[in-house]
Amino acid sequence: MSQTNRSLKSKTAVADSDDPVLQWVTFQLDEETYGINVMQVQEVLRHSEIAPVPGAPDYVLGIINLRGNVVTVIDTRTRFGLPSSEVNDNTRVVIIEADQQVIGILVDSVAEVVYLRSSEIDSAPNIGTEESARFIQGVSNRDGELLILVDLNKMLTEEEWGEVAQI
Amino acid sequence: MSFDLDEDILQDFLIEAGEILELLSGQLVELENDPDNRDLLNAIFRGFHTVKGGAGFLSLGHLIDTCHGAENVFDTLRNGGRELSSELMDVILQALDTINEQFAAVQAREEMQPADPELLAALTILSEPGTHMPGDSGAEVTQADEAEEVAESEAEKPTAISGEGGVDDITDEEFESLLDELHGVGGETASTPPAAAATPAAEQAAGSDNDEMSDEEFEALLDELQGVKPPAQPAQEPPAAPATPAAAAADGEMSDEEFEALLDELHGSQAPSSVQPATSEPTAKPAAKPEPKPAAAKPAAKPAAKPEPKPAPRPVAPPAETTVRVDTRRLDDIMNMVGELVLVRNRLLLLNSNFNDEELGKAISNLDVVTGDLQGSVMKTRMQPIKKVFGRFPRVVRDMARTLNKEITLELIGEDTDLDKNLVEALADPLVHLVRNSVDHGIEMPDERVKAGKPRMGVVTLAASQEGDHILLSIEDDGAGMDAEKLKGIAIKRGILDVDAAARMTDEEAYNLIFAAGFSTKEVISDVSGRGVGMDVVKTKINQLNGSVRIDSEMGRGTRLEIKVPLTLAILPTLMVRVGKQAFALPLATVNEIINLDLKLTNTVDGQLSMIVRDKAIPLFYLNLWLNKGNNPNFKRDEGHVVVVTLGTQQVGFVVDALVGQEEVVIKPLDRMLQGTPGMAGATITSDGGIALILDIPSLLKRYAKRSIKH
Repeated sequence: MSQTNRSLKSKTAVADSDDPVLQWVTFQLDEETYGINVMQVQEVLRHSEIAPVPGAPDYVLGIINLRGNVVTVIDTRTRFGLPSSEVNDNTRVVIIEADQQVIGILVDSVAEVVYLRSSEIDSAPNIGTEESARFIQGVSNRDGELLILVDLNKMLTEEEWGEVAQI
Repeated sequence: MSFDLDEDILQDFLIEAGEILELLSGQLVELENDPDNRDLLNAIFRGFHTVKGGAGFLSLGHLIDTCHGAENVFDTLRNGGRELSSELMDVILQALDTINEQFAAVQAREEMQPADPELLAALTILSEPGTHMPGDSGAEVTQADEAEEVAESEAEKPTAISGEGGVDDITDEEFESLLDELHGVGGETASTPPAAAATPAAEQAAGSDNDEMSDEEFEALLDELQGVKPPAQPAQEPPAAPATPAAAAADGEMSDEEFEALLDELHGSQAPSSVQPATSEPTAKPAAKPEPKPAAAKPAAKPAAKPEPKPAPRPVAPPAETTVRVDTRRLDDIMNMVGELVLVRNRLLLLNSNFNDEELGKAISNLDVVTGDLQGSVMKTRMQPIKKVFGRFPRVVRDMARTLNKEITLELIGEDTDLDKNLVEALADPLVHLVRNSVDHGIEMPDERVKAGKPRMGVVTLAASQEGDHILLSIEDDGAGMDAEKLKGIAIKRGILDVDAAARMTDEEAYNLIFAAGFSTKEVISDVSGRGVGMDVVKTKINQLNGSVRIDSEMGRGTRLEIKVPLTLAILPTLMVRVGKQAFALPLATVNEIINLDLKLTNTVDGQLSMIVRDKAIPLFYLNLWLNKGNNPNFKRDEGHVVVVTLGTQQVGFVVDALVGQEEVVIKPLDRMLQGTPGMAGATITSDGGIALILDIPSLLKRYAKRSIKH
């Protein structure tokens, strides 16, 4: 693959070992900033060709070839009940590992890695659409900006259960 | 004994006991046909014994009880206390089923159910020697046996009362052996338990020896656990023990030695086996001699002598460990990586065709060969003999034949044919269905057979062989055969077929009707078959494996079913096609031919677009309409190629935009999120690094074809 892959996992934390600091990768989605646990992020890819899978659920964009592995990419906007947008230069596919599966999530852009103490995380107020609220683990106020922390395990599994139940 | 279930030990037990149980099922049926085979009898006895030992170590109470019952029966059998009968076999097989159930519960980490008390009672009754004994000395022997039995049951009384206590006298010894096995300790300790078992048993009443033994062993256990080599002294004890005449003790000891010997065999440990013959010989003989009645001594001595030859040849050629257990997931990983390598090679081959560099060409062709070899070798590691599946059939056929009052022999051919592990597992169910079918529908009742001038005994032949890159499995019976007209009649009655279609049908197509869902020739549904589900499932399953089924039948002579499956599921030859911008792979095995689309040859029949291919109308579908919804502005109906695929006896044409070529691909399963997407069997990386979806034709048709296609 010719993309510039940034391995975030290899970045070492500067925090003290006895200081419970968590690192979060932040990404933008429709003007909001979201954070996911850095330990669940494998890598960030530039947008490349995604092969659509006929008959797949609508939030599944398709599959990509990640160095010989087939990885499903889901459209995070659709997932969060947001309007879809055009792919541009900032669009990224974040490869995450959650619930023993590797999945790519399409986001508007990836910003940085932030350090948060556990005490800085608040429980989620009733924000966002109902769809997205289900995946939210908590929020954090950084310099007057709200960071929404996403629980990936829920994002990947809960819907599936819902679907199974519907059948 | 309350140990925490150590996961590792449990795993070892599950693997080993699982193998033994699998073997036992076959051995039992074999024994029924060959009741005088003492080796087999002993092997079965040891099998139950080993499982019991392992279960004892892990405190799996209910499992112990059942194994113990079965073991006792076989102990009686091999001592000549009872003759083998079908009724006895039924009980034993039932016990084996119970053991298997309990074993499955352990495997699933669930609470296991105690065995049916009736079954245990039946086992106990059967383990009492019967009154019939061949030979003049019958009465005497029986008496001695009974005495022995009493002594034994005396010792086992605590079992009934306390549930666990009585098992200990064996469990402890086995516990020891098991530890040896698990920790690979040297030979000295291995010979200790028999010594310990014999001495107190001789000196004291049989029932009271438990405490002492466990103390000694506990010491030994501690030594082992701490990695201390136990002193050599205990090893010299055994010769002293046998001096005391005690039939019961000798008996108990014997099984221990056998148990040891079995372990030796299983693990190829060298040290214990060299000690073994030395101890077992003096032990067994004196134990029998002082017995006042020579007649009684016989049965005791016989089994004693048996185990001797077994360990004897072993020390001559101490077998080095030549096998390794490997987690299948690891093999899957390797297979995956090799698959990756194959793809890279394909890519290099493609690139080189653009360069035409001779040096590069040489290197690549070298890589080509090595990769091919590597692929072959790795594939071989995943191969398993089909025996693993075939092994269960003697039992299946026997049970069914007994229920149906038929007389049937099962012949197995080519049991050693190797095929991919996944295939072996996947084929098990379809084969069971087909064999049951042959037994139930194929073979006639004995009287009918005689009337038809055939031998009473029906024959079902199960054969496997490798043919090129395929495995050919056949199930053949010499039964009544199938009546094509009758099949058509039933199909019409059940609304699967209309009269006109039936009239045009060839015999072979008619035979294929049995694979249709909801088709059953039986008027009455029995617990054996007749629900009309089985064959449908068989067909689907075999299609999933990219295999095919063919039926050949002759009235009055029998039916032959042939299943062809690819050697492996890991690598799939495909035809790569392009639909819109996307590449799709069609399993090559199903592709029949490729024709240029000619609209002049197409007609719309009953709302279904079809095409005449060699005077036969086949349904035609535009894949573009199915797989490329919404983004096909350049879609033209009159351009493209028709790929004709075969589904059973039915042919279907798919219109594709372009043909890419034939390519071997590694199937990558879709993520959990996409699994079960209709029509998609998986994905693969193409030789140009892109991604292609592999189509699952039957499910594709099911999902998209408006009119259901009969196949």
